[in-house]
Amino acid sequence: MLVLELMVVIFLASIVAGVIGSLVGLGGGVVVIPMLTIGLGVNIHYAIGASIVSVIATSSGAAATYVKDKMTNLRVGMFLELATTTGAIIGALIAAYVSSIALELVFGVILLASLIPLVRKIGEDIPVTPELVGLSKKLKLTGSYVETDGSTVNYNATHPAEGLAGMVVAGLISGLLGIGSGTFKVLSMDLAMKLPMKVSTTTSNFMIGVTAAASAGIYFVRGDVDPIIVAPVALGILIGASFGAKALPRAKNPTVRKIFAIVLAIAGAEMVLRALGI
Amino acid sequence: MSLSNPDSMNNVISKVLRYGVLLSAAVIVLGTALLAARDAFSQSASLLHYDPNQIPHGPFPVTFSSLAAGLATGSPAAIIELGVLLLLATPVSRVLFSIFLFAAEHNRTYVYITATVLTLLLFSMLVTPYIPVFGG
Repeated sequence: MLVLELMVVIFLASIVAGVIGSLVGLGGGVVVIPMLTIGLGVNIHYAIGASIVSVIATSSGAAATYVKDKMTNLRVGMFLELATTTGAIIGALIAAYVSSIALELVFGVILLASLIPLVRKIGEDIPVTPELVGLSKKLKLTGSYVETDGSTVNYNATHPAEGLAGMVVAGLISGLLGIGSGTFKVLSMDLAMKLPMKVSTTTSNFMIGVTAAASAGIYFVRGDVDPIIVAPVALGILIGASFGAKALPRAKNPTVRKIFAIVLAIAGAEMVLRALGI
Repeated sequence: MSLSNPDSMNNVISKVLRYGVLLSAAVIVLGTALLAARDAFSQSASLLHYDPNQIPHGPFPVTFSSLAAGLATGSPAAIIELGVLLLLATPVSRVLFSIFLFAAEHNRTYVYITATVLTLLLFSMLVTPYIPVFGG
């Protein structure tokens, strides 16, 4: 394949990955990795290096819009980042001693299993606001955003400890596998902390950039970030993510959750299949 | 515009992110254009070669000195890598500016939380890749 063809294919697929990733709070690795490995025969390590960059590009490409719209809950995101950055460092520490195949199998199965509670609340628009108690109250894990119809949605976060635990896992797999950390972030905020779906995905969008940056140094130094692959990935994702970020405020919470459930099913299946060598 | 006002601080963060992303995209576009001008019609296989026994695994710069050397000669790969590093810096600058945002809100707890996140982030990004136990 000619260099030009390769770059154009990667660029176009990355635009799609950027739109999807910015809508549902993921990094686009679910599209980027199989496109590169299965579609174009690129080595898995280069694909993971590209995926790390795609995560940061999705996060930063959508961020300027989300900051302005005040949909992202910066307090919730920053509090949870304590756990993800710690998890990323632990992941780097133990990476040499664990099998990435076993990890992918375990995390893939966890993702698929989490479809059950997710599907049960698939149509939920705004969660019933729980009373703000304990750590959530102390850390003001609460907020509000304006829906497109002009109504203000107030929400409180619950179960911050469970949220933190989910985030350690998200950081760990970012450090260990370089993929999949966005899914665990959205799941923790949606299922455990009971935030409105759009708050979960935009807050995850902020967080995945920080977590991926925490893990990026190792991939960069190892030489897994190949410029010929990463350039069209980064540019395509930046364009796609800016479209996705503009579309999100108009989307409804149940719609976003449905798209997320589909992407989650694909991501989980991809991890299991890769672990089984299929 | 007063930076002690949370709303204007939010606008500053939005602008920092937007210009940071545009700058990194411009650098990557420049590198890509130079790469395409040189290699567009060559076979991609050799550029995608992955050597598991060598660090770096491919034919491109990964250290600051080799990156600087590449930039000095106008190497397309080095220019793209520079753009990627600028992109990497945007989440870091967002965390950094969030410290000022929380300070403007007089939210001391979150100034400490954010400063801790920034420390962990910089440690993980810059230090762990060079410590042998971390696989560096």
